[in-house]
Amino acid sequence: MATFLPQYPFAANPLLLFGLLLLAGYAGGELVQRLLGVPRIVGYALVGLALGASGLGVLDARLVGEAWIFVDIALGLILFELGCRLDLAWLRRDRWLAATGVLESALAFVFVYGALVIFGVEPLVAAMAAAIGMATSPAVVIVVAQELRAEGQVTERALNLVAMNSVIAFVTATMLLSWIHHEYQAGVVMALLHPLYLLAGSLLLGYGAAIAALALGRWLGKSERGQYVLALALVVVVVGSARMLEVSAVLGVLAFGVLSRNLDARHDLMPFDVGRLGQLFVVVLFVVTSATLKVGELVSGAALALAFVLARFAGKSLGVLALTYLSGVRRGAAGLLCLALTPMSVLAVAMVRGAGEMYPEFGARLAAIVLSAVIILDLVGPVAVQFALKRAGEAAPEETAR
Amino acid sequence: MSDTDFTASPGHTVGVELELQILNARDFNLARDAADVIALVERSGRPGEAKPEITESMLELNTSVHPGYEPLARELLELRDRVSAAGERLNVRIAGGGSHPFHSWSDRRIYPSERFRSLMERYGYLAKQFTVFGQHVHVGCADGDEAIYLTHVLARFVPHFIALSASSPFQEGADTLYQSSRLNAVAAFPLSGHAPFVQSWEEFLGYFNRMRGHRIVESMKDFYWDVRPKPEYGTVEVRVFDTPLTVERAARLAAYVQALASYALAERPLAPTAEVYTFYNYNRYQACRYGLEGVLIDPYREARVPLREDIADALAAVAPHAAELGGAAAVEELAAGVREGWSDAAWLRKVHRARGSLSDVARMQSEVWMGKSGLGI
Repeated sequence: MATFLPQYPFAANPLLLFGLLLLAGYAGGELVQRLLGVPRIVGYALVGLALGASGLGVLDARLVGEAWIFVDIALGLILFELGCRLDLAWLRRDRWLAATGVLESALAFVFVYGALVIFGVEPLVAAMAAAIGMATSPAVVIVVAQELRAEGQVTERALNLVAMNSVIAFVTATMLLSWIHHEYQAGVVMALLHPLYLLAGSLLLGYGAAIAALALGRWLGKSERGQYVLALALVVVVVGSARMLEVSAVLGVLAFGVLSRNLDARHDLMPFDVGRLGQLFVVVLFVVTSATLKVGELVSGAALALAFVLARFAGKSLGVLALTYLSGVRRGAAGLLCLALTPMSVLAVAMVRGAGEMYPEFGARLAAIVLSAVIILDLVGPVAVQFALKRAGEAAPEETAR
Repeated sequence: MSDTDFTASPGHTVGVELELQILNARDFNLARDAADVIALVERSGRPGEAKPEITESMLELNTSVHPGYEPLARELLELRDRVSAAGERLNVRIAGGGSHPFHSWSDRRIYPSERFRSLMERYGYLAKQFTVFGQHVHVGCADGDEAIYLTHVLARFVPHFIALSASSPFQEGADTLYQSSRLNAVAAFPLSGHAPFVQSWEEFLGYFNRMRGHRIVESMKDFYWDVRPKPEYGTVEVRVFDTPLTVERAARLAAYVQALASYALAERPLAPTAEVYTFYNYNRYQACRYGLEGVLIDPYREARVPLREDIADALAAVAPHAAELGGAAAVEELAAGVREGWSDAAWLRKVHRARGSLSDVARMQSEVWMGKSGLGI
């Protein structure tokens, strides 16, 4: 037998995987868009569910592990863009917006925690789930807004609120690590220093990247292509370094985005937009993360998942409705903002994964609750955002010539 | 009262309309927050008024009617501060300048109102391309005949208004080589240009009724002339100004129009002549293309005159009238600017050269208009 021929069974590799997932995901997205008129990401998620643990099982844990690098890159790009959209100067001028961000996150935490504890979930798991629930899915909101070419107050405020609640959720979840370490008798040093190391390390990493971006951006000048490559490269460097240093890539990239936008006093950097390349990664991002979701667990814990979703929506909405009008937007915008903050998706999956890394048994209990809610919101969330942005009149009209 | 009855305005009162750009705070492209900005400005009280314009990226400010320069300038500053504050809360920027340096007209969205939708229906893409920003100055007239006389005399000075306000050197991301490229967008409309050479209000009404009879127009609003009588306000309206980079300059330009009107009506130095319209398009083009460096044909003397000299002479001639109306300083500042060759368009080009990015040009345009930075670079 000639040895230049491949051996059967063929060994898949990440590259082939990326291409196939891209094709499958994109086809799914296009289908749901044409048939149902819902955002394409719903289709990506459905394809993920169909291929993953809940469906055909083609995308098993090993393949998901291999493909996870694409998730890291995609999430990095999305969170970087989100960070760039958080305008701290705006929050200083419009303190009601800042207050809205804090209040809706806090109420979401309280409501979810309360609901879960009432359902008999142990406090530690409930607290971590509530922390994760504070975050709105940045990927869903950014991607849907991009798909609709939406622009306006509801869109901008939604993105800033998402940036705020993602940061708050992440910091809270990191602090809760102390409690987990304590629960599992990991020792005082671990309980105190690990969260500190994570927060400080990720922030420093983001800060370093922002400083590098500013210096290189000034040197490059206003070249759109050059600056795009620069941002892309630094995002990947931050994600990779975070892995190497065992700090949080999510927080590192978010910090990188926020700092590079808000430290750029001389306006040397051009605004970052994930663009076409980013969209490729987004498809794979949704397919792979959805593949890890288990519909079976949703069925067995439907009541709990539903309680989670409703409590979270109630908390966020109360916060938004209480304060939004004070910050000067038109009436009606607040209700639409509530809808735009519903999605929970990729970031939650990544956070559950992160929390379960050290204590798999804890991770499994957390996953059963949070990921069941993610299945619901993965499908409902994008539709809610699309409805909100269209209703706000901020989506690009589909004008037809007469 | 029909819309063609001329309402008499006492004295040579003056009022200004300013069309402004609404920019996002990310890349300083045009945003679409007009409705929210207007609602916030309305909430902040009086005087003055904010209104929508044809696309959602535009904002129109109207001042009240004023006897002269100083109260007008004060109100404009006050309006600017209110509009800027509203913009700050909504995280949008407000900018002057006759054109946005790099937006694409096809991205614009028509403001959702019956009137603007019907304009889109009628004019197609011209409606979206009309996302350019002008200043209109109204001067009060005693009656229709005076308005017709003033219309023809002011037509002689249209190149001045263009050169003094020129601030639209860039369109769609490119340098047009024009000082005011905005007027090229206006010229595409079928009812643009200048008023017909009629001698009296009665004759003018005859013309208007004929046009209405043919169903070319429905109301006076349908004429997009550079200078037009506005019977319902009792004014003549000069519409060729680019919106200047600052409200201070907007007020000075209004002071010039007012002084010129007062001079023309009091001294009657020029008789209306059709010759003004013989050279009209050429002179207008010279001002648009070259600004203060243009050369125009003086229709009264049939001679080539550098625009800069012509403006300096006119500013000197109207100075006494400006002084009477409280606008001496305004006209003197304009004259000083002409001597040193200042133009907003040149400043915009200088910013572009210094920063290398039109996004920075738009940003600095907004910082200057909102009073956050001066005209240094």
